[in-house]
Parts: sequence; C-alpha cells; structure tokens
Amino acid sequence: MLSALFIFSLRGELLVSKHVRSSVPKSMSEIFRIQVINNLDVRSPVLTLGSTTFHHVKSPGNLWIVAVSRSNADSAAIWEFLYKFSTLLEAFGLHSENELKEDFMICYELLDIVLEDGVPVDTELGSVASKMSVKPSASTERINTFIESGNGGTNRILPVAQFLRARSSSSNLHDSYSKAPSNIPWRMNGIKYKKNEVFLNVNERISILVSKDGSILKSYVDGTVEATTHLSGMPVCRFGLNDSLSVSTPFGDNESPTTNKKAIPKAAAGSVMLEDCKFHQCVQLDKFQSERTINFIPPDGSFELMKYHVRENLNLPFKITPVVTLFKANSIDYRVTIKSLFPSKLTAKDVQLRIPVPPETVDCHISTSNGRCKFVPEESAIIWKFNKYQGLTENSLSATAVPMKESTLNIDQWPKPPMSLKFEIVMFSNSGLVVRFFDVSEGNRNYKMVKWIKYLSKSGAYEVRY
Amino acid sequence: MSESRLFSKHKAYEIRAELQQTNLKKHRASATKRKDALRKVIANLSMGNFSEMALLFPDILRFWQVEDDIEVKRICHHYLVAMAPTKSGHFATALSMVLEDFNSGTESARILALRTLSSVPLPAYLEEASKCASAVLHQHSESEALKKAALYALLRLSQLDTERSQTLMSIVDKVLHSGKERPSVRAHALFVLYQEEESSSEIRTLGLHRELCLSMLELLPRLNEWDNGRVLDALTANYVPQTHSDAHFMIDKVLPQLQHANTSVVLNALKFIVFLTNYVDRLNESIVKQLSSSVISLLNKPPELQFLVLRNVILLLLGREKPLLKVDVPYFFVEFNDPIYIKDTKLEILYLLAKEDNLAQIFQELKEYATDIDIQMSRKAIRAVGNLAVKLKNSVDECIDLLLDLLDFEVEYIVQEIISVFKNVLRRYPEKSKLCLHKLVRFTDSVQEPESRSSMIWIITQYSSQLPNYFELFEGFSNSFLEESLEVQFTILSSTVKLFTRHLTPATEKLCISILKSSTEKLDNPDLRDRAFMYWRLLSCTQNSGGNILTMDGVREIVDGNLPLITLNSRLDPQVIEELELSIGTIVSIYLKPVNQVFRLNKPKVLPKSPALNPDKDSLEIIADGARSHSSSFTDEGSLTSRRQSSSPVKKMDDYDRPAEVVNQLKLKRKTSSATSLLSRKPSVLGRKLSMKRPFG
Repeated sequence: MLSALFIFSLRGELLVSKHVRSSVPKSMSEIFRIQVINNLDVRSPVLTLGSTTFHHVKSPGNLWIVAVSRSNADSAAIWEFLYKFSTLLEAFGLHSENELKEDFMICYELLDIVLEDGVPVDTELGSVASKMSVKPSASTERINTFIESGNGGTNRILPVAQFLRARSSSSNLHDSYSKAPSNIPWRMNGIKYKKNEVFLNVNERISILVSKDGSILKSYVDGTVEATTHLSGMPVCRFGLNDSLSVSTPFGDNESPTTNKKAIPKAAAGSVMLEDCKFHQCVQLDKFQSERTINFIPPDGSFELMKYHVRENLNLPFKITPVVTLFKANSIDYRVTIKSLFPSKLTAKDVQLRIPVPPETVDCHISTSNGRCKFVPEESAIIWKFNKYQGLTENSLSATAVPMKESTLNIDQWPKPPMSLKFEIVMFSNSGLVVRFFDVSEGNRNYKMVKWIKYLSKSGAYEVRY
Repeated sequence: MSESRLFSKHKAYEIRAELQQTNLKKHRASATKRKDALRKVIANLSMGNFSEMALLFPDILRFWQVEDDIEVKRICHHYLVAMAPTKSGHFATALSMVLEDFNSGTESARILALRTLSSVPLPAYLEEASKCASAVLHQHSESEALKKAALYALLRLSQLDTERSQTLMSIVDKVLHSGKERPSVRAHALFVLYQEEESSSEIRTLGLHRELCLSMLELLPRLNEWDNGRVLDALTANYVPQTHSDAHFMIDKVLPQLQHANTSVVLNALKFIVFLTNYVDRLNESIVKQLSSSVISLLNKPPELQFLVLRNVILLLLGREKPLLKVDVPYFFVEFNDPIYIKDTKLEILYLLAKEDNLAQIFQELKEYATDIDIQMSRKAIRAVGNLAVKLKNSVDECIDLLLDLLDFEVEYIVQEIISVFKNVLRRYPEKSKLCLHKLVRFTDSVQEPESRSSMIWIITQYSSQLPNYFELFEGFSNSFLEESLEVQFTILSSTVKLFTRHLTPATEKLCISILKSSTEKLDNPDLRDRAFMYWRLLSCTQNSGGNILTMDGVREIVDGNLPLITLNSRLDPQVIEELELSIGTIVSIYLKPVNQVFRLNKPKVLPKSPALNPDKDSLEIIADGARSHSSSFTDEGSLTSRRQSSSPVKKMDDYDRPAEVVNQLKLKRKTSSATSLLSRKPSVLGRKLSMKRPFG
C-alpha cells in the first residue's frame, strides 16, 4: 500500500526515509518538498502526480509525515495510519525535529514493527511497545488523556461521588508468567497490577451555529469515552451508558452527579439518543449490534474506547446575544451579553469570547461587567476572557470599534466572521450522557477494582452570527 | 552526541576513520561510538549522499560479521536495501550474512533478513527468499510476525517474477484455506492474494466461494483494526453472492463493523455493503439510516479524513436516483476554521443536496459564503447559486435576488463571478431578463476577466432590443477587440454578426465589417480567421444579386436561432459510478474519476455477474422497516421518527434560555453610548432586531 514513508522537518529537511519498494525513485522526496512544503498555497491534503500519490499530515511537533503510494491505495487507511504513527512517535519521545535527528533509529525500528511491506500491521501502543527494544519514554503519559485534558495539578482525576462498585471483593493476582502473545491481538498475556484501576474520561465537544435571528442552524456534540485501564489478567469488561437504545439496563435510576433534571429542563436526564457511535477495535461489535451491550477485553493502558455523536436534546451551556450596529457611520457598536445556562453549582473555566472587528479598526472602547477584555489588533478581534465563570450568571459587554482617522468602516463589505466562544466545564455533560455501569469479570473469579470517572465538556465550534 | 554531528554530510573516509579508530578498543564506550558512526551512514543516506556512502560497503560488512546488536543489524539491512540499485559485487558476500541472520537470529533479525532477501532484486537473493519464505509458511510453530513477513516476501517475489507467481501464490492460498492457521495470518494471506490479483494484468477476480467468505467474516471480531479493513476490502467484488438471501445475510454480518473507530474499517465496510446492495432485491430503510449516521459521525475525525469522507459522500449522492445516504443539510455548513479543501467540498455537497424544501436554508448559507474572506470560496459559492437557479426551476427568483444583492457589494471578484454566472441563468430563463438587465449593464466597465467579459457581451447582444444604448455598450468591448483574449475575441466576433442581423443599421454594419476585417487581416489565429471568413461568406450570400440563396432572415435564423435548453447534469456516467462505488475510500474516490484515468496501470473494476445481480442500480427498492426484519433492529424505529419530528422545526437559542441568578451590570457607562446612537441605526438593522422574535424560515 505504502511504497515509501518520509518524515520532513518543518522547513523541509528529510529526516527519515523508508523505502518499502525499490520502485520509488530516490528523488521522490525532492518532488514533495517542492510541490507541497515550499508551496504556500496548498489546497489539498493529497497530491497525485503521474501515478504517485502523496498523503501528508503535519504532526503536533511540526513534522511532515508523508506516505507515498503508487497505485490506487486505501486513503482512509493511510491517513488513519499516519495519525496513529504520529501518536506512536510522540509516545517514543520523537515529537520534534531535534529528537528525531538524535534517535531516528528508533523511528526505523518502529516502522519495521508497524509496517509490513508498507501495510500497517499493528499500531496499538501496548503491543508495539512490547516488541520494541526501547520502552516508551516518560512522555507516554502525555498520551494519557487524563493528564492532557486537565491543566490543574490536583483535581485532574475526580472520583465519582458514588463509586460504581466492583462486583466482588476477592482480591487476586495472577501467577506470574511472562508477557506472552495471546489470542487477542491488542493484549498480552500475563499483565499484573497490585491495584486494579479503571479511569474513564467522558469528553465532549459541543458545536453550535446560531444565525442572526437567534435560530440554531446546527448543533451537535461529539463525544469520546477515553479509558485508561490498569487491570490484571484477561478481564472482560462490560460498559453501559444511558443511551435510549440500550434495550433494558438493570440500573434504572437517573440520579447522576452531572445531570440535574431540575436544573436543565431540556436535558434528557433519563436517556440520550446517540446518533451513532464508533468503538475501539477491542469492542465486540457484533454483540453491540445484536444486544446493544458494550463488551470488550481492553488493551493495557490508555485508549479511546468509543466516540459518539448526539444531536437531540442538548444542554447548551451558554447563550450569547449580540447586537452589532453601525454607529455614526464610521464606528461599530457592540452590545453582547453572555449568559451561562448550566447549574450554578458548576463553574466553567477558561471562558473566552472572541468578537471579530473589521480589520481597519485601530482602537476599541470597551466596558464590561466582569472578566478581562482587550482588543487584539493583530487578530482583528476583541477577546473577552473569564478564568472562572459561575453557572446561571449573566455578563454584558459594550464596545465601540473605531477605525483609522481617514478611513471609514465599510461594514457591508466586511464578511463578519462569527463570534466564537471557548470554554471548558468539568463534570458537566452537554449531551446528558452518563456512564451507568462498568464491570469486569476475569475467568471464573471475581475481581476487585477501583473506578474513576470524569466528565468534561468543551467547546467545539461554538459560533454565533450577528 | 550532538545533532549536528549525526545529521550532517560526511565523506566516506571520515566515517571510515571513526569506525576503524574505535575498532581497536573493545569496551562499551567504543561500541556506542561505532554505532554513532553507523547512524551517520543512515543519516547521510536520508540526505541523499549515496555515492559517498556506497564506498563504505566493505566496512559495513565487516561490522555485520562481528556485531550481534539488533540495532547494528537493522542499520546493515537498511544499508543493503538502500544500496540494492547499485548491484555492487559485495552483495554476494552479504548474502551469507543475511542468511546467517535468518538461520540463527532472533525473531526480529529473521524478519529483517526475510525482508531484505525479497527486496534486493538479484537472482541469488530472490531464490533464497522464496526458499526461506515457503519454509516459514510450512512450519506451523513460526511466529505470527514472521509468517506475515514471509507472505509479503512471496508477494514481492511474484510481482518481480510474474512467471513464477502461480506457484508462489498457491502457497499463500494454502495458508488462507488452512483452518488451523491464526486468524490474522489468514487475513494477511487473503490480502496478499488480492494485491497480487490487482497487480496482474488479467481482468479476473479471486472468485472466492461462499464458505470462505463466511469464514473470513466470522474471523472479523478476532482481528485487529487493520486486518479488519483489509479483509473487507479484499472481499469486495472478489466474492460474488449468487442469491439475494446470501447478499442479505452478508450485509447483516458486516453491519456491526460500521461502528468501528477506524475510518478505514468503516469505509471498507461501507464499500462491501454498497457492493452487496447490487445483489439484493430490496433494502431496509434502517440500513440506509445506519449507513448515513455512521458516515456522518466520521465527520469529527481529523481534517484529512473528514475530507475523504466528504468526497465519498459526494460519490454516494451522485450515484443513484435514490441515494444510499440520507443526510441532514446542516452537517455540511461550513465552519469558520475549516481548511479550504473541506469548505470547497462541503459547498459541493450543499449544491447536490439542494431541493425545494431546504432551499431557503441553503441560500442563507451560500449568501454567507459568498462574502467569505477566501476569494475562491466566495466565487464557488456564487457559482453554486447560479447553478442552483438552473437546476431548480422554482428557485430562480430567489437566486436572482440574491445575486443582485451581492452585486451591490461592488467587490471586484464578486462582480466578475456574478456576471459570468448570469449568462447561464438568463439562457435558462430568458423571461427573467427584465428584472435584472439594467442593473447588470451598469457593471459593463468593471468586468475584467475573459469569462465575465464574454458573458457581458453575450448578455448585451442577446437583450439588445431591451437596451436603448446597446450600441455604445457593445462598442466598449469591440473597440479593444485586438487586445482581448481569444475567448473574448470569439464572442465579440459572433456577437457582432448577431447584432448586425438583428439591427440592420449603418452603425452595426460598419462595426461588423471592421471586426470581420480585423479578424481576417490583423489577427493570426487560424480558428478565429476561419470563423470570420465563414460569417463573411454567409453574409455575402444575401448580397449576391443573382438568385438570392439566402435572405437576411435566413442568416438570422442561422446566427441567432433558438438556443437549446441548458440543463445541468449532476450525475456521473453509470459505468463510472459502478467503478467508483467499488473504490470507496481509495484515492480515486477523492478525485471522483475512473481508476485508469488516474492510475494508468490499475485495472478498471466491474461488478461481477451473478444471477442475483440487479440490472439497474436505480431499481433497488428501499423499504420501510417491519416489512422484513432482516437487519437485527438497530434502532427502535417508532421512537426515532417521532422524536425526529418533534424536533424538526428549527430551534431557537431562546428555547434554551433560563433566568440568570446573577446578572452583572456594566460597570461604567461609556460616553459614546448615548441615546442618539440608537436612532442613527440603519433601518435594516432595526428591522433585523424587530424580526428577531419571528420564527426562522
């Protein structure tokens, strides 16, 4: 599928070149450098020249990872692979140019393991790490989304008020036998922990687009359930949500720490309709199809258990009311109110409203009821920030954008980019989705473990036109 | 070791010195130094310093003999493969070392050796490679990774030496059919056979039979994501269902895979299902729903994958009379931070999805995009509005209003695009010309680009009877005839003749003659000249006194006859669609072109014949659920539709409103915000404020 794989530095220096097939001329990397890296106006993530196709992604550490293929290859697999490979590079401490220049042999070793004749074989961190001669560096923990998602020090992992109890308490550890390949491609035999722990992280991103007249053009939540498992042996996990399609869950109560029926009347505290969900490869999809239960033997460590998509009955956390008027023909008057709609017990953090102003603006007179607000000329926007934002609170802003003396604002020709809001709310679920249960059985014996769960709602594209 | 040392160009003798110097001592420090020297070789290879590094062959071989470290081995193997095109004499010596690695080494060394053997295109290497690979595959106890390496070694061998491919592939085939083999190895064997099939020149399929296909599908839950995707890929069109019920059964088997997190698995499952729909008698609506929602939820992937998914959405929408996708329009609204390639694709989808009932919504969006910062985006949006007018008859008034509104912006590129687009709109709906003609003509001086100039010339000529000052307007273009681009010259030429036949005045006659003269005497484009001569003769026919062959009316008939009605065909050729549907998720699905137009070596794909094959894709009936509960009831249909309906009207932000417990008032009154400012608001803004309470749409 892949005929070659290149990694370039941001400026276009070739750092790694792995040729799978000798049919790829050595000059191929030059072509990519000229056509894509040195080209400022790249309008596609894929480039086909003759019968050679380049798929490229840019890693978070600003590396170009490029796959070369010479026939009609599976683009979906190539891009998925490039993203997974980029995560693996991070895990082995090769996230930027400098590290890669030192330890490029680790990259070649990695490529030898994840690719067989240019075909991706296995990209699961756990099993790849067991085959590598070096262990993932300390920065592996960065992949652990628990730590990534929170930025505070102590309250990263919040226990659920009521622990979901494991089914039994007989403690046991396996007889020690070395990690050996098992029938399950993503999990080794003989994993052992003194304390069995499961961390679940429900992350949601809510996107809405509100038109000028206040009607909601689109709204949806993209959520992921990320799990970090430290479990011994070959545990079979069962996991349940309050989605409306689960045929019958024995856990009927709706009381959860996150959704308060009274606080948010629109919230479907009882059940949530998932438009669609996607599961990690460890989940038995046929069971899900027939019985709507989520059963799996997890890989060791952190992984993204599921993704879901919700459109109905969302809990919108903020309401923004903008009034933008042309004032005295050459300045624009903004009156914006922002109101939090989540329960007053909760607090959102890092709330930031970006209010675009015409590019000719040189100064803004701003007055706000709370928060910090300033005009950022290089972004042509007023940025209004709150470190903490209490629930059920309304704040307002009034501002005037003033253009340069001689020029006039041409509000009709200004494309009016939408106002966008960023925020993060811990222990709040935009979709009302709640984890109902998570239990584990291993062999015949029962299993003792501790479960932690955290909900985090973030903004996706939260945009309001005016 | 500093980075500059590893990643900089070296001469061969420098590295050789480093290798030899440290060779004398035998302790650990020198071992790492040696390794660094070897790493420099690899770094230099990446930098393209081949000729220098080729000199180091003997040194590399010497190290290979003494070192047992896997990293050194890896470097040696990498070096060997990189040097393969040189066919240097050292390869004979190297062969014994590769073989030694294969016979005595650890698992990873054996894999390296096997890959190297099959990647060096020398007869001796290939011979050994085929021996080693078949030995590995016959041995049941060999590890999974080694067996996979052996399978792909065979694939490479058979592609290098097509005569032997049949014998080599029969080994792979045995692995595929061996029930005792591990699932993942069998999956790879299937994929290797499929790849070999693809690369061979004959047009045939693997022709897998039902039992094998079923057993591979049974394996799916025990395979990892990559294997899953490849199995589904390999089964498509290589297994041919013979009856409707077989096809139904397979669809049910594959449906769960749509829930996979890996895009490749989902798209391959989609491809397999779409393929199977050609062999079923009818399709349940719930399956269409499940396909749609699983595609939609791929839209939260990284942008590149999103792009791929969107392109495939286009493919599926174009494909059939009743598309296999039922998607909601707002998913394809452009977000402000979308990369440009996603914006473009979403725009195309919006155009395809436009129907009478969602038109208002889409227009609103297109209007936003038309004023986008990105020029190309804005142009495409305008073009889409124009095309929609031609596509949907009932939308024409709205389209024209919108375009005329946009014209008021007087932004240069917007004007160009709108004028270009109007030509088609007016050709389709000549009766609408009264509405917009005079406004359009105001922009005669601002049209710059060839397309918009031609379009303007055409409009002026076509509606000259409604324009009292048509001649002055036209002269604005014809005066610069010699400097215009060829496209515009053609338009001027034919329009002058047309104008002349319509208005037989001395002025038009003079103009006509001067243009004909210029085209034949002053310009040297043969096509233009020929066309001018053609017109000239045609016109002179009417002048010949002896037995008039043609009257002026006759010429008018020819030059200015009724134009055929234009229609926009948004569907592709059925054959192309058939092929593209078998290539969902691949590179050609991005370009939406037949495979051998993009990759000339690839074979075209066709649906294999079978008694169950539907003669026509459009004859497939999509039925509501309940009639036949084939799929295992993914959704509770009743509740689903009822909830949908209840939520179908557009929601307002105010529906979510709740009284605030804390209201922070503005701290200080600004001097600027006084009551007078309210009065000076533009009426349109006031109107907008007043209309805020009105429901949308």
